[in-house]
Amino acid sequence: MRSFRALLYAECVIFARDKAAFTFTFLFPIIFVLLFGFLMGGMGGAEGARLGLYMPDGGRGEVLEEVLAGIGSISVTHYSDQLALQDALEEKKIDFGLVWDGERLLFHYNSTRVQENYAFQQLATGIAAQFNLSYQGLFPILTAEKIHVGKKASTGWFSSVVPGIMAFSILSAGLFAVSGHITAMKERKLLDQMIVTPMRPIMLLSAVICVRLVIVYISTLITLLVAVVVLKLGFTVAWLRYTVFVTSSTVGVMGLGSLIALVVRRPSSASHIANVVSMLMMFLAGIYFPVEIMPSYLRALSKALPLTYMADAMRYVTGVTEMTEARFWGITIAMLVLAALLLPLLGRYIVKPDRGQY
Amino acid sequence: MTATDGITLRVTDLKKYYGKVHAVDGISFAIPSGSVFTILGPNGAGKTTTLEILEGIRVPDAGEIEVFGVRVKQINREVKKRLGVLLQDGNFEPYLKVKEVVKLFASFFPIALPVEEVLRRVALQEKGSAYIRTLSGGQRQRLAVGVALVNDPDLIFLDEPTTGLDPQARRNMWSVITNLKEQRKTIILTTHYMEEAEVLSDYVCIMDNGMIIAEGTPRELAARLGQETIIEFSGGSIDAEWLDQLSSYGKGVRKDGEIVYVETEDFVQTMEQMLAWSREKGIPLENMVVRQPNLEDVFLSLTGRKLRE
Amino acid sequence: MKGILRVAEAHLRTALREKITLFWFLIFPLFLLAILTLIFGNMGTEGEISFAIAVVNLETDTAGPVDFAGIIEGVFEQAGKPSEEGKEPLFAISSPASGEALEDFLASEKKATRFGDRAAVIVIPEGFNQCLLHRMMEDGPSSSANCSLAIYVNEGSAASGMATSIIDQILAGVERDLLTRMGRFQEQKAIPTETLWVGSSGTEVRYVDFLLPGIVLMGFFVNGLFGVPGSILFARDKRVLRRYWVTPLTVTHYLAGFSVGHLMLCLVQFALLLLLGRFAFGATVTFFQPMSILFLLLAAITFLAFGFFVASVAKTANTGMAIANILNMPMMFLGGLFFPVTGLPLVLKAIVFVNPLTYLAKGLRVSVGTEAGTLSVSIIAVPLVWIAVCVAVASWRLSWDVER
Repeated sequence: MRSFRALLYAECVIFARDKAAFTFTFLFPIIFVLLFGFLMGGMGGAEGARLGLYMPDGGRGEVLEEVLAGIGSISVTHYSDQLALQDALEEKKIDFGLVWDGERLLFHYNSTRVQENYAFQQLATGIAAQFNLSYQGLFPILTAEKIHVGKKASTGWFSSVVPGIMAFSILSAGLFAVSGHITAMKERKLLDQMIVTPMRPIMLLSAVICVRLVIVYISTLITLLVAVVVLKLGFTVAWLRYTVFVTSSTVGVMGLGSLIALVVRRPSSASHIANVVSMLMMFLAGIYFPVEIMPSYLRALSKALPLTYMADAMRYVTGVTEMTEARFWGITIAMLVLAALLLPLLGRYIVKPDRGQY
Repeated sequence: MTATDGITLRVTDLKKYYGKVHAVDGISFAIPSGSVFTILGPNGAGKTTTLEILEGIRVPDAGEIEVFGVRVKQINREVKKRLGVLLQDGNFEPYLKVKEVVKLFASFFPIALPVEEVLRRVALQEKGSAYIRTLSGGQRQRLAVGVALVNDPDLIFLDEPTTGLDPQARRNMWSVITNLKEQRKTIILTTHYMEEAEVLSDYVCIMDNGMIIAEGTPRELAARLGQETIIEFSGGSIDAEWLDQLSSYGKGVRKDGEIVYVETEDFVQTMEQMLAWSREKGIPLENMVVRQPNLEDVFLSLTGRKLRE
Repeated sequence: MKGILRVAEAHLRTALREKITLFWFLIFPLFLLAILTLIFGNMGTEGEISFAIAVVNLETDTAGPVDFAGIIEGVFEQAGKPSEEGKEPLFAISSPASGEALEDFLASEKKATRFGDRAAVIVIPEGFNQCLLHRMMEDGPSSSANCSLAIYVNEGSAASGMATSIIDQILAGVERDLLTRMGRFQEQKAIPTETLWVGSSGTEVRYVDFLLPGIVLMGFFVNGLFGVPGSILFARDKRVLRRYWVTPLTVTHYLAGFSVGHLMLCLVQFALLLLLGRFAFGATVTFFQPMSILFLLLAAITFLAFGFFVASVAKTANTGMAIANILNMPMMFLGGLFFPVTGLPLVLKAIVFVNPLTYLAKGLRVSVGTEAGTLSVSIIAVPLVWIAVCVAVASWRLSWDVER
């Protein structure tokens, strides 16, 4: 027990004094959250799109006005000539423009807003469709009433991105705890120094796991806090499940890190592989955008990534989406199984002598 | 538990293979308690592998180990409690302080010396609160020795303890080792520095290619070269033909870089012949040294190679 | 001169041989280009996106003149079939198990929507055909409620939102089609819709053309921010530089050689990205015009100078890398490389304003024609100021030998 306490102390102290690792672990997720929070506010959809309208004394402008007024998600600004409208579009004062000269509907888009135009074009199609009906004195006969099931998104789509970022921070912290921290210890022969003593490898492992668990847990809490305080997002956290999930996913991911450590030739390569793996997962796990827009092969790949499921479960425990009990516990237990299977390999890694010169 | 026959460590026919490479190819030796046993040999001889097996890092493929009177297949936890190990190229966590490192390692043993005592033994009392990364090479090595002694071990392994140290630091290390000797600790030392082996050891075994090619006290080993005397001089311009001629004056001759070594059992006769030759050829015998053979010469004569290749 | 070139060559060789450099500076930008284009480049293109939905037709009265419910169901069924061999259909439509009652099916589909397994469930209610028939025949706004379908959606899901917009569009098309068939809507009087792309090119900018300049800049940026301090600081700390200083090679020469080597690395980066963009993703954007080349060169030099700056404020290689890591994300994202930077709070706006990437990105994009705007003086001035400041600080602070 003495050795366990001493190792715990050493692990804590080492982490706290390593300013780079310290900053990384806590600051990174926060930076991500803030950046994406501010930048991608508009990516979720064309909520509150701004339309610039120019109608030279053309026919039946009131019809168009009425149609536009009926569409809730658009705010309309009038312009006195086409040039002014185009300038405003270029300067991004409006999102798209419309010129109705009595003959045709001319929609203007800013060609550089490549990722957003898709949504504006959809709005435009809707406007044109409705306008055509009204222009011929017809009224919509077919409506689609949206009935919301599931949790009400409190502040829009970004609420579901934050848990994804938190899941990602668990992934990277867990991976690096092994393929980074422990592999560095191996490289510096620190592990050798310890195994020539009666220290049991399980003590070291346990100490590392315990300390990293606490670190990850605190990091996710801080990220959550920042999202709530700075971005004014709301979450309903199920604390017990949150804790259980963070614990199981952290050890599960550490298991993955062990796999990497065992596979690479040199300990120093392990952290780079871990970096690559986590980057890959970050893009493909459906954290920032729905997987539905990915080509089918990428979507299939996404289903094979642990991060996809971790992000799902995180959204659930922070109250953003719903999930069946079975699914939640399935994911949690799967992570624990991953840990149970792979962490013993880490024990072997610790005592395995370097391949050295042979 | 103490060794009943005065032998702390006995190794019989130890083997370790890596595929086709016979890193350790059947070595045997016995180390009496309280002695310094040095394993000498060039890089790749198998010294470090042997040590790693005896330290419990590697598992032998064959052979017997008897330590503290108990036969074991491989070094286990019980044995480790009584061992002290100084690793080659070892390092400590840069973000820990000296005291913290000692405390950490002390916690691994059921009984350990107080931190202050350990630091005193390796002359690092003032550096207790220093971070590892601020220590010099010599200080780090002393800390490593301190850590190796934290449990007041009976059997101590020192793997190349002075490699990479400047001469002063090396002398300091030698005095630490000598102190340990005075405390009747059993020490296994590996080195490729011949002087170190000569100064510190009670017994020396010379390893090459995974086998022991000679063993005994330093004096016994040197005596293998008989009543030899070695005459060295700087002979940069001497060619093969002249070397041949020189060799006929003694037992043999070799050239290493600028230096020519002539081995002889009849010093006077060889000397006369060399002086005559020198006068005749007009080749001066500069920087001449006449000396007894040392361990390096022994090694060379056994393997044809230098210790420090 | 020879010495400078040799230093440049050594720098380039070392960089290309070091696996880490190779990965982050060459492979990663290529990877990013590929992934982002694959994901975002096909928004709206059929066969690339797919949503899981369900259509539940509860209408039982199909005896009337037109089975509107059946028509609508058919339209979605059609959308559930791939438009081309081997492509995915727009919707993956789930059907009830054999013998399953429709009510049960609806209940399970609603549940699936709640849990995110379906993007939407479209329900055609009973009595729909009659209702729609009446509405079709009426003139003017109806007194009774519209005939409406119910679409169950999950508000918290972005996929749900996107699927819903697409469904709305489809329904609008069906509506118009039905009205036309019933003679109410006159197709020949339909108002045509035209599209005008505002921006210097006058056509729609393809995603890969929008992205490529940004990725090239990112490559240069990462090269400068990480590669330059990394090389210098590690070489200094490991005393490699010291070996140079005991030869006639002056610091200036070394710097010149280093810079040339750095630019050559940027060139390799650029070439690879261009090749990938053009041949794998059909990028049409061209960099081979004076202004674009100017901006590329300006960017490479700005980040080189910035790298020297970082190297001069860091005491050790590890600190340097830590600083680089902290600066990396904010500068990249707040430079408008990947996402438009609008609607930011003041602090972040300030960073955007000061960030040389903002100007370089704009300048490059305008010069290759994927962005509208004029190349004002500030676009060139700000990076130049950065170069000046960085070089000044670096020459004052950068120590070329490690202290004992």
